[in-house]
Parts: sequence; structure tokens; C-alpha cells
Amino acid sequence: MPDQTAPDQGRRGNPPQTAKQPGAPGESPDSTGITLSIDGRTVTVPKGTLLVEAAKLLSIEVPVFCYHHKLNPVGACRLCLVEISPGPPKPQTACTTPVAEGMVVRTNTAGAVAARADILEYELLNHPLDCPVCDKGGECPLQDYTFRHGYPTSRIDAPRLHFEKPIPLSDKIALDRERCVLCYRCTRYYDEIAWEQELTTDQRGVQSYITNQFDRPLQSIFSGNIIDLCPVGALTSRVWRFESRPWDMDHTASVCSKCAVGCNVTMWQRRHQLVRITSHENGAVDDGWICDRGRFDYAEVNAAERVRTPRVGGKHATWNDALERLLYNLRGKKLGISVRQDLTNEEAFLLKRLVDGPWKGARVVMPRRTRIPAAAGDTLAIADLERARCIVVIASDTADDVPVVNLRIKKAVSRHGARLVLVHPDDLDLDRWPHAVHHVRPQAGGYPEAVRALRKHEYLQEGPVAVLYGDGHGTEDGTAISAAAAELASAAGGTLMPLYRGTNERGALALGLLGEEADLEGCDAVLIMGPGAPPASARFTAVWDFLLRPEHGEPDVLLPAASFAEDQGSYTNLEGRVQFLRPPLHVEPPLREGWDVLLDIGHRLNADVEFLGIAQIQKAVAEAVPALAALADPPATALAPTTVLYGPARP
Amino acid sequence: MAELRGSHGKARHHLLTQHFGAAGLATLKGYQKLGGYDTLEKALAMEPKALVDEVKASGLRGRGGAGFATGVKWGFMPPPDGGPRYVVVNADESEPGTSKDRYIIENSPHMVLEGILIAAFAVQSHQAWIYIRGEYDRPYRMLMDAIGELREAKILGSKPFGKDYPLDIQMYRGHGAYICGEETALLESLEGKRAQPRSRPPYPAVKGAWARPTLLNNIETLATVPWIIKHGAAEYTKFGTEKNRGTRLLSVSGNVRKPGVYEIEIGVPFTHVIMELAGGPFEGRQIKAFWPGGSSAKVLPASRMDVTTDAEALAAADSMAGSGGCMVADNSACMVETTYRLLKFYAYESCGKCTPCRVGGNWAVRTVAKILAGEGSRLDLQILDKIQAGLQDGRCLCGLGDSAGWVVQSAMNHFPEEFEEHAVRHTCSVKRERAAASA
Repeated sequence: MPDQTAPDQGRRGNPPQTAKQPGAPGESPDSTGITLSIDGRTVTVPKGTLLVEAAKLLSIEVPVFCYHHKLNPVGACRLCLVEISPGPPKPQTACTTPVAEGMVVRTNTAGAVAARADILEYELLNHPLDCPVCDKGGECPLQDYTFRHGYPTSRIDAPRLHFEKPIPLSDKIALDRERCVLCYRCTRYYDEIAWEQELTTDQRGVQSYITNQFDRPLQSIFSGNIIDLCPVGALTSRVWRFESRPWDMDHTASVCSKCAVGCNVTMWQRRHQLVRITSHENGAVDDGWICDRGRFDYAEVNAAERVRTPRVGGKHATWNDALERLLYNLRGKKLGISVRQDLTNEEAFLLKRLVDGPWKGARVVMPRRTRIPAAAGDTLAIADLERARCIVVIASDTADDVPVVNLRIKKAVSRHGARLVLVHPDDLDLDRWPHAVHHVRPQAGGYPEAVRALRKHEYLQEGPVAVLYGDGHGTEDGTAISAAAAELASAAGGTLMPLYRGTNERGALALGLLGEEADLEGCDAVLIMGPGAPPASARFTAVWDFLLRPEHGEPDVLLPAASFAEDQGSYTNLEGRVQFLRPPLHVEPPLREGWDVLLDIGHRLNADVEFLGIAQIQKAVAEAVPALAALADPPATALAPTTVLYGPARP
Repeated sequence: MAELRGSHGKARHHLLTQHFGAAGLATLKGYQKLGGYDTLEKALAMEPKALVDEVKASGLRGRGGAGFATGVKWGFMPPPDGGPRYVVVNADESEPGTSKDRYIIENSPHMVLEGILIAAFAVQSHQAWIYIRGEYDRPYRMLMDAIGELREAKILGSKPFGKDYPLDIQMYRGHGAYICGEETALLESLEGKRAQPRSRPPYPAVKGAWARPTLLNNIETLATVPWIIKHGAAEYTKFGTEKNRGTRLLSVSGNVRKPGVYEIEIGVPFTHVIMELAGGPFEGRQIKAFWPGGSSAKVLPASRMDVTTDAEALAAADSMAGSGGCMVADNSACMVETTYRLLKFYAYESCGKCTPCRVGGNWAVRTVAKILAGEGSRLDLQILDKIQAGLQDGRCLCGLGDSAGWVVQSAMNHFPEEFEEHAVRHTCSVKRERAAASA
């Protein structure tokens, strides 16, 4: 069961979480409390809360398959039947029934207990005896519910229904139709959340099965979430197939390093390998979803070719030799530094100290960053998109640039009736919404004018208005677009959300690290941190990465970097929210963390870097940059414990 | 034209079928010659609320199967809010044994349309949809022709009979699913989605087609409305029983000499329907069992043929009036085989959305098949009993599951010896008798 309370990602200085978790999808919590009793115990909950959720607050488990707190309830699987008075004589599904004052609910009557056991028996009727080889084993609600609520023995001796299996839905996801309990979470997720039609149900009755539409493999960047959603082993990750079981793994709640949204993820570790990434719900940022880049792109971390020791001229060397060689060759040269997207705040801060001090005049670039300047003033929190009446998206294909923010936009439109204004030359997935979408298609260079013309549009007359802006994939004048967006927001009384591309682009900008230049042409000594090709002008190249990539060529000095699964530190997402990494893997010497190496460099150069550890660095950042004040208050390292739920007696 | 297999011509209780068979009845001209659409014109001059009250006073109950008080259902529609509201006509008629809606449409399509339009005005709707099962090709074309005639005569349009109240009717053809007779599944199909019932509440009157207020009624129910408005509710209450007023069409089929669609006054006994109207059993056979209201109504043994056709009496006899599809079996029918055949229907038609019907229905079919194959045991009878209980009483999302459960429950209840001998002794006395008779 997902942990409902995400670890507090720092308090001070982060945007306030104003959009609360609703009690039921599409409803905002009322301040009126409704008091009811469940199994003889009373609870008071907001109006609109579903019985299933109210029961959870009393640690009463009402088992569910088709219900999911992020999807519209359907009452299809019938597993959550409870008896309600006053009410109809027949049992009702707890997942579709909202609370009412004075309601008396019983989940433990003989009738309800038998109903639950019967449904589980039906689900198991055709379910294959795959537990020993099924990747859901150990974290499978069907297993857990059968133990807690099902019959202890089986009366089934008929042959089971068979399907061809497994079916590859894509190169990442496998479908096992025999295990499927037809809860329809996957098809409903695609329809309600992702606005895509990739999965559907074919045939009817007991012959029903899930299939991909038009026999096409799943192509959506949002496809991986169905693995987390599926309550059985019907939808499994092919990347993690047959790898391990939950009890073999340790996990931490960390932050994804692939883009500026900063979705919270759970990173799972086994035998010092990063074996799996799943979502970790944070209602303020990701709302429980991650995209396929964050979920599946981690193989590099475990690659055998990882660089683990320094190299000088292609030969293994000690850190001391490598650093000395590096610093010697950088002295007095036109220095260029290319930083990785996911440079942490702490590393950026130390680098700034170097660039302000001994490396004064160095050019610092972040490849593939947007041309959006640093944010000034308050920007919009992601969760507040749900309160917007009008959402303007300028120069960005959000499904590609900031995928999980794209899902939040879709939620605001489909659940809360927000209206969309799109400024982009191409058709976008957001155009699929059949009502209230105004799409302007500017020519190259025509963005500022197109944005200005929106001031009078009827959709912008009703606030709150959210103005999201990218830089047209780097081909447009980002500064001009930002200025036009700011003017529009000001005129419409709206709030801005800059859509940075780099994971910690906003943090690096806040620290004043990045210059105006786009590349390192003209520099004769370069330090490439992460992916990136050295410029033709470079006479001396140092690379600092965890893999030697083809574009790196043959660097003179190669320093091993810790990966995102090993680095401590923090990122600042596009909202300006500071979030702390909790690496699941230890840094094995001779590997060293980035901030540690930068401290070392700083000491060797007599830079202003008197810090004894990462905590001191974080405090210094907080003091130096008000926007990053949250760094002074990192959260506790332990995960909040998961609530243990108790069910009624076995039948 | 083909010989009418059912009621027609003048009789005291022939309220719907009186003119069936009259030349040209299916055309607008022919229908108008007999007074057609005068009632619509009259209704358009009345207050919508008055129409609703009249139908309430008549005691008309839905003829689709549920038997809900029609006037009360009309009254559930919320007040107009400026947005669209719909009347959706359930012409999906798929209940086994039922063909009365087809009989009505093929004989008098205009009577249906007139009823629909009166209802639309009564609930302040401007748009009606007729959802007709895909297999009803001829009735569909007849209704389409009739609608075309109305459009040409401007009875459908912006000013029917000069009244500033636009009215239109559209048709939609189903794709072959019994579940589309269930009102919310019908709405899903109408909206172009997979036909699976919705969780209720909200009910269609509040959130129906395209989430708008929708009135859903059966063909026969609406076809009765013109008579009620023309003659008045008080006249209608002179027929039928106190709680179940009026007349209705029973479709009688099976082992009877004269199967057909017969209009009866509600309250007559089934002996009249089966033995008199339908001519009774074939030579040398005796009636054994009958399903009074479609296969979804619990079967009754012949000893209960004296039960009357009103809803209350049937409920007291542990069955139901349902859709009025009366199927009759004689002593050549093996009740285990008929149970198997009917169960296969429900399992095949199950939409698959909810677990007990999807899995339980199939499990029941396989168990009965096992019993029929002579491989059963007493345990299989216990399993069947467990399954039928698991299909009822709110376990399923819609009534299809309950009906499947009733099929098994009622057959095992009234004919336990047949199930016993099949499952435990692996014999069938009916088969033996059939073999002996043909030897």
C-alpha cells in the first residue's frame, strides 16, 4: 500500500502546500465534519469522504481492487461490500458510498465477511498458481487479502481459463491475462489521468481481457504507472523481471533526477545495485505518479563499465595525482565548466565559491538548459494548478518537457473544469480535451506577440490564472518569451510557472552559477561534469562522470562521479521547492561524492570552503540564498512508518 | 400482410392492440385517420405537470421488467436548468421469451412515437433517443420511416402543431448485447462507450445520458401513454388490479399450440393465458413449468398456473411479472437442461464488469455442464447453491447477476428431484420417458 504521507521535503522557504488532498476525487473538502460509526467506532471526516477512506482512519481495512484513491470510483469488483444502516437492505460498496451523518456501517457482519470471501474465491477461480514466479509476490494485495479475508481452502477442481502469456505491451511492461482480476485500474488510469487510449478491454464476460489498442505497443511516457496501479501481477516491469522480491530489497524515498519536476520516488536496492524505481506519493509535487524516464532509466547506475577510480591519460591514478594534474592544467587558462543537469544545490554552491575565487572568469554552462532567466518573485506551486480557472501553456510540450506537471494540468482540466490556452505551433496531447481549449499557433519568433494578444481572451478574464512557459525547445528567444509571459500574468492577475529543463536548473540559477553563454567554444581548458562533448578549442579536457561516454572522447583526466543513487544533496525543482536526495546505495571508496571532491579542490586552491560536512554546506547555502532557505532544515532520514491495517476476523 | 400472431381487433381490454392489422396503420396518414396525434396536440396544450399527474393517477407501471410507477419516474426529473435533457427509449428488448415491443413497433410505430413525444413534453425535454437492439432490423426501418414522415409533416421540428417547443427523435442501433437493456449500460452504449452498467447513485434522472437529466422508459410503457392521455387516468384504472392497473402485452412461447403476443387485462390468471389464449399444450403432453415474465422471472411449476398476472400476486408466488415474456415448458423438458441453456445465456451476456456475475456465472455453467455430462456429485449441487446465493442480494452491480441466480435457485427449488437424479444418480427420467415415448 502506498505511503500516504510523503517525507516532509523541508519546510522553510518552500512554496506552501495550499491544495489539500480531497476526500474523494473531484471534491474539495468541506469544513463540515460528518460523524459516523464503523464497526462500533466513531469517526468524524470531511463531507464527501468515501467510506473506504473513512475506515482507513480507524485502521479498519476494507479490501479493494477496483478502487484507487486517484481514480473515479466504479464499484466494479464488489470486494468492498459493507452493510449500512439506515440504508438499502442490500450491502453497498464502500468505495462508491460517501459518508452521511449518523451512518452506521458494519464491515464485520456474517454477511459482509462472507461476501468478501466469496469475491476473493471468484478472483482466485481462474487465477494461475503463479505466486512462486510472480513478481508481485510479497507486495500483492490478492495474496494479502486472501490471507486476511478469504477462505482457507479451495473448492475449485475445474480447469482454469487460459490465455497466451506473457504479452509484451511494450519493451518495459508485460501483461499476464490469467492473473488479471479485471479491476480496470489500468484502462481507467489511461482514460482519466493520462488522456490516452492505449489500453482497452476486449470481449466481454468471463472472456474479457486487457489488450493494447490497435495492436500497438504502449508508447506513452506515462505507461509505467500501471505497474504500480495493478493490484496483482498482471502488469509487471520487464526491466525488473525476475530480479528480486520485496523482502530482499532495502529502499529509500528520494527524488527523481531526470527533469525539473522533481517527482518523489522510491529507490530499491539489493546487493549494492539499484534494482527498481517506483513512485512515492507526494501530493504537492507528483500526486503519486512518475514518468517512464524516471521509472526505467537507471541501468547506467549498475553498469559494469562504470568509472570507479580516477584516471590520468587513460591510466588508473590516485585521487591526489588526478586532482593535482587537473588543477595544474587549469591554472591560468581560459577555463570552461559544463555542469550536469542534476548538479545538486550543494555542489553548485561550492562550484560558485570556486568560480568566484580561484577560478574567477571561468565560463559555466549547463547543456540543454532552457533559455529562461532566473525566476523573480513568487512562482506557482504545482498543486495549485488544480485551483486555476485558466491554464496558459506557452512554448512547451509539457508531456515531453515536464510530464508529471502535464498530468496535473489534465487533472485540473478534467476534474476541476479549468480552461486551457495553448501557445505552440504543433498539435499537443492537451488538444484532446473536447471542450474549452484555445490553441494559438505562432510562427518562429512570433511567441511574444501571440502571448500579448491573449490578454483580452475570455478565458483569461476569470482567475486564478496560471501561466506556464518554456522556451520552445531552445530554438526561441527564451528571455523574450519569459518577459511576455510575465507581462501576461501581471495583466491577468495570474501566477507564473517557469518550465525549466534541467533537473536543478532553478537551483543553479538561484545560486548565480550559470552564465549567459550557451557553450564552451573558445575555452582552452574544460571540465565536463556529466554528459557533454568538449569543444573543439579545448587543449585540456577533464571529465567527471560515472560513465565514460562516446562524446567525452579521450579525456586527459577522468574523475569518477557518484550517480544520483549514491549522491547526497538536494535539488531545487521548477517550483523552487528544495527536495533532499536519500541515496539507496553507499559510496564505495575509491568513489567519492561530488561535494566531497569539490571541498578537496577548494582546499587545494585555498578557496573559501571551510566546511566539515554536507550539513555545514547546506546551512551556508540557506544563509547565502534566501530562496534556498529550506536547506537549513533537512528532514529526518527515517521513513514515516506505514500504518498497519487490521481487517475483520477470517470467515 | 402476414397473419398477426397475437391480439388485434376490438375487445374491451384491447387498449393498445385494437387497431393492429388495420390497413395503413403504420403510415402517418393511416394512423391519423384513426385519431392518431390528436392526443399529442391535446397534450401540447396542457401543462407539463398536468401530464405527469395524469400518468401518476393512472397507476401505469413500467413494462420493461422492473415495473416501477411511471408517473413517479417522470416526477423524478429535476426542474429544467437551461441545459439539455433527454428521453431515452429502451427498445433493446432482449429478455428471453419477450417479443411484445417488436409486435407493437411492427404494427403501430406511430403509437410509439406519439407516446414518446408526449413524455418528452411532460418532462420538458426536446430530444428523444430510441435505443433499439441491432437485430431488430425491420422495426428499426419502420420507426425510421415513421420519423421521416413526422419530420416532413413538421410534427417533429421547431413548431409541432404550431407550439413553440422544438421536438426531435433520433435512433441508435445496438450491437448485440442483452446488458444494453439495463438502463445505465444502455446509456454507456448510447454514448459510444463499452456497455457496462454504472454504479448508482447517481440515477439517470439526475445524471443520465452525457451526464444530463434523462428519462428512460420502455417501448410498451410509452406506447400506452396516448391512450391514457386521450381517455383519462380514471378510465385506465378501470382495468387491472388496484396496485397494477391497466392492460399489458404478454408474449407467450414454448410448448403451446398458439404462441403469440396477447394483450390481457392485468389480473387474469395464467391458466387463461396459457390454456385459453395460447391454446394449451400439444396433444398428449402436459404443461410442466412456466416462466411468467421472461427467463429472469423465477420459474413456476404447472401447479401454480392459477396465479394471476398482476405484479403483487407474482411476487407473492416468489416470481415476478417482469417483461411479460411467458415461456411454457411441457413434460418433455428436462429442467436441468433448461437451466443449463438459460445459464449459458446469462454467462454469455455478462458484461464482465463485476466479479460475481463474470466468474460466478461461468462457474455455474461449467458445474451444470458437468452434472449433465454425468460427472456430477452432491458437492456440485452445494456449489450451485452457493453460487446462486452469491449472485443475489446486492453482490452484483446490476440485475443480470440476480437473474442468473434466480434461474438456478428456482429450478432447484421446484424440481429438486431432477437435479438430484442428474447429479447423484447420473440419470435423467425425462430423457428416458422421451425415449420410451418415441420407441
